[in-house]
Amino acid sequence: MMKRRKFIYSVGMAGMSLPFLNSASAVTREPKAKSVINIFLSGGLSQFDSFNMEVDPAVIGKSEIINSNVGGIRVSHYFPTLAQHMDKLLVINSMKSNQGAHPAGIYKMLTSYDPRSSVTHPELGAWVSKQLTTEMDSLPNFVSIGKGSAGTAGFFPGQWAALPVKNTRAGIECVNRNSAVHEGQFEKRLGILDALNDDFDQSYTTKDTRAYVDTYQGSLRFMNSKDIDAFELENENANIVRLYDRQEFSRSCMLAGRLVERGVRYVKVELGGWDYHDNIYGELPANASKLDKGLASLLAHLSQKGLLETTLVVVSTEFGRKPGVNPNKGRDHHPDGFTCLLAGAGVRSGQIYGSTTRDGQAAADDVLEVSDFNATIAWALGIDPAFEEKSASGRPFKLANSGKARTELFG
Amino acid sequence: MGYRQLLGNDTTDRMIRIAILLLGVTANACVAIAQPAPVLEHASQIDRIVENRLQQIGQDGRPEIDDYTFCRRVYLDAIGRIPTLDELDGFIGEQKPGKRASLIEELLGSKGYQSHWYNYWADLLRVKYVGDKLHHPGNYAQWIKESLRTNKPYDQMVHELVNASGPLYKPGNGATGFYAREAMPLDHLANSVKTFLGLSIECAQCHDHPFDVWTQKDFYKLAAFTSRTYLRVDPTPELEKKYASDRRVLKNKSFDEWIVYRESLRVKHAAIHGNGTGYMRLPHDYQYDDGKPFEVVKADVLFGKMPDLDHKLTKEKLDSLGRKNFGPPINSRESLADWIVSSENPLFTKSVVNRLWYQVMGTELVGPLGDLSVDGMGAHPELTEQLIGLMKDSRFDLRRFLSILFNSKTYQSKAIGLSPNTSGYVLDGPVVRRLSAEAIVDSFLSLKTAEPEQFVQTDFQWDGFTNFYEKSQTMDVKDFVSYSVNGPGRGAFQKREEIAAKQRNGKSGPKHLWRVSCYGHADGSHEVAMLLGKSDRELIDGGNKEPNIPQILYLMNGQLEQEITTEPNIYIHQKIQKANEPQERMEILWKAILGRLPRESEKALASHEAEDLIWALLNSNEFRFTR
Repeated sequence: MMKRRKFIYSVGMAGMSLPFLNSASAVTREPKAKSVINIFLSGGLSQFDSFNMEVDPAVIGKSEIINSNVGGIRVSHYFPTLAQHMDKLLVINSMKSNQGAHPAGIYKMLTSYDPRSSVTHPELGAWVSKQLTTEMDSLPNFVSIGKGSAGTAGFFPGQWAALPVKNTRAGIECVNRNSAVHEGQFEKRLGILDALNDDFDQSYTTKDTRAYVDTYQGSLRFMNSKDIDAFELENENANIVRLYDRQEFSRSCMLAGRLVERGVRYVKVELGGWDYHDNIYGELPANASKLDKGLASLLAHLSQKGLLETTLVVVSTEFGRKPGVNPNKGRDHHPDGFTCLLAGAGVRSGQIYGSTTRDGQAAADDVLEVSDFNATIAWALGIDPAFEEKSASGRPFKLANSGKARTELFG
Repeated sequence: MGYRQLLGNDTTDRMIRIAILLLGVTANACVAIAQPAPVLEHASQIDRIVENRLQQIGQDGRPEIDDYTFCRRVYLDAIGRIPTLDELDGFIGEQKPGKRASLIEELLGSKGYQSHWYNYWADLLRVKYVGDKLHHPGNYAQWIKESLRTNKPYDQMVHELVNASGPLYKPGNGATGFYAREAMPLDHLANSVKTFLGLSIECAQCHDHPFDVWTQKDFYKLAAFTSRTYLRVDPTPELEKKYASDRRVLKNKSFDEWIVYRESLRVKHAAIHGNGTGYMRLPHDYQYDDGKPFEVVKADVLFGKMPDLDHKLTKEKLDSLGRKNFGPPINSRESLADWIVSSENPLFTKSVVNRLWYQVMGTELVGPLGDLSVDGMGAHPELTEQLIGLMKDSRFDLRRFLSILFNSKTYQSKAIGLSPNTSGYVLDGPVVRRLSAEAIVDSFLSLKTAEPEQFVQTDFQWDGFTNFYEKSQTMDVKDFVSYSVNGPGRGAFQKREEIAAKQRNGKSGPKHLWRVSCYGHADGSHEVAMLLGKSDRELIDGGNKEPNIPQILYLMNGQLEQEITTEPNIYIHQKIQKANEPQERMEILWKAILGRLPRESEKALASHEAEDLIWALLNSNEFRFTR
């Protein structure tokens, strides 16, 4: 007798299955943004060699101040392209973190919590994905692009972790059938597998064995999903491709734009390497150029597609750098008064929010703590920043810790 | 042990190796020769209690498993991988009586035991590179491996961990890695209590526990045992005076030289200091009526007998001193260790028995691994009682305790698939569960080679830190300066020491034939094991056994294709090349991958290509679940 085939491998099926949808929702009102692209600059961007020029000249170091396309906003000469896009960006110069070491600072920025060894908190992207995923979605709502660690789901089930794309050329690892295995052979293998699993199921079925069968089904659907092509940049239109150069970070930005166009809610793009304790002026220019071109291209891409109104672009980093240049011609960590950028989704662009003291030592006006920053992002997506979920041991945690949304950043 | 004090040259190195080998052999021999009769007797005590319970509720015992099922199961549970085809055939063909007991002893005394159980303990003890504190986990990992090789009694292991002090990178002193794991002492205390007593008190760190009896004050009283214990990576202030002027010179001269100076000094001087003052102060935001912010509290245990402490000051005296004063050290941390591992501590033995039962049978004996209660004895209190007694009788000899479990009929009975609505499950045997991530990856190895343990090391493995620590013992200020100025520079400093250590260790074999336990910090973590849910060791019991899409995509389309499915030179393909007909080939594949003979109903599959069968078997639930 023919057994019912569980594993179907055929072309053109839609989407992946997302079996455990969130029932409790914290979506409260009309959102400003449908999606977030978070460009995360791990290592600690020097605010005084990028976007905070509102300090004493001595603090600026070897950066030269240039004017932008917005009167009153000046940037470092390492960002000549972005200088022409400052009308789309809101510069926040008053960021403040309580963490001055990389792992803890990154953790704080991405989760709103201090790292503790008794629990792992979900990243903001995981909260967003868990809140906003619906049955209609064909792609995972949290995607992480870049070499760094993918986004953790913390105490949430693993399905809410980011889908990792380590580099844009390889795309999602193993999503294509091994080239040595032709389609008919793959079908045949699935048939054998199906028979073996049916047999095992008869004596030993549990919820865990069923979860495996389900996830194989979901993975096969994903392999064949028409949405997979969102991850393939060669399918992008020439008029978009020509906005970008060929560098990996630029390609990552293009991929983020494509994913947002398909409705993905939270895309994190990591660009590391900013930890210049020595020789900052020898090494920063190359990295700054990547950010300068990639981000400018992304803003053009989103504008051209009409997506900038509904996409919140967030440029963040774990902390800034000290106002003084050290004897090794570098800058050390400084979490009090660093700079992040926002664009799109109705933010008050073409402005500067907050300030540091003139000597660059501390955030001064409109200080924005990390958890308030994250609360603002959640709020923009229409999510209550105080939404609470419990960890496995029953401890309650709020989405943005005790952060409060700074709604005045939006028009 | 003598070798901890020895620093040195190649001769001592060799002596150390010999000493460890001898200890290992002696411990094995004890298990193999002296114990069999009582082990079997103890195993049958478990069976009698289980049978009584089944009789009471009028339920039949489960059928005994056949030799094939037993062999696969005990390989997985004792040494963390499936048996190779030769190992399975060897066991099936063995005619002498008592062959199951013999196999159990053989496996528990093998290198595979150390490899498999290292994964377990290293996860529980969260052996991990922490970063900013320059905490290199190599010496800590070696301490665990050595404890397993020498079968160090569990209570002694825990005592050493809780009470560890001194240099982090001193060979043999790796137990210090446990304290160095946490930057914050209160977090460390909460984790110690969860790890060794299975008790969740972390809530009480900041406020009274919302649904348990522990108050914040209880937490602080317990914390008083360890107060003023700390990790310091730089030289002590006293020693620092010697280094200070050169530090200043280098800092202004060259960043690279200054960094090497700082980091190399840290390898020598990073250490756990302090052994507890027996006094703690309440936090600045203490909100309850029974104490004031910064008030001194005296050490006290959560339950059971309070050890005697030799306080030098009264609480009243200390209260009158400054807020930062916690009193002089009185070695109270050792008293905490005594209390934790005491056989009278109602949670210490219960917790480890609960953990081992969970590992072997797949279910909780008493309750959640990290959330037990002082009085709770689980669904079958007599069984729990008995197992606690057996652990104590075995003097916390983990191999012996595991041997008792493996030799029981209860263990050697058919596994059932447990679901939330399964009725009549009375802790009467193992349940179906997914293999750990490491066991899946190590089982691949059983298909790749006839000797999966050939590269499991049996002696202390040096790394850049222990190697340099040793070298640094004869280095004075001048030598450190010269090392920093003329040395390899910041980038190469660690790398060079790692290379020296590797040379010292000798051949380690090709990485694709290593077991997962052989991967250390310097070698990176095992990516496939991570994909399969290996713990990242951030949290206690942090591993998972859930499927996810990247994992399944890897299993279907990833490297396994080249490594096992089609690679003609590996063990499994060598075996099937000798087969003359499809049925014979099928039998080899089923035995090698599933550990059993093909069923009648499966024989129609024999006509498929070997590579397609291998792919399907490796992707099957039967392969990754125990039964």
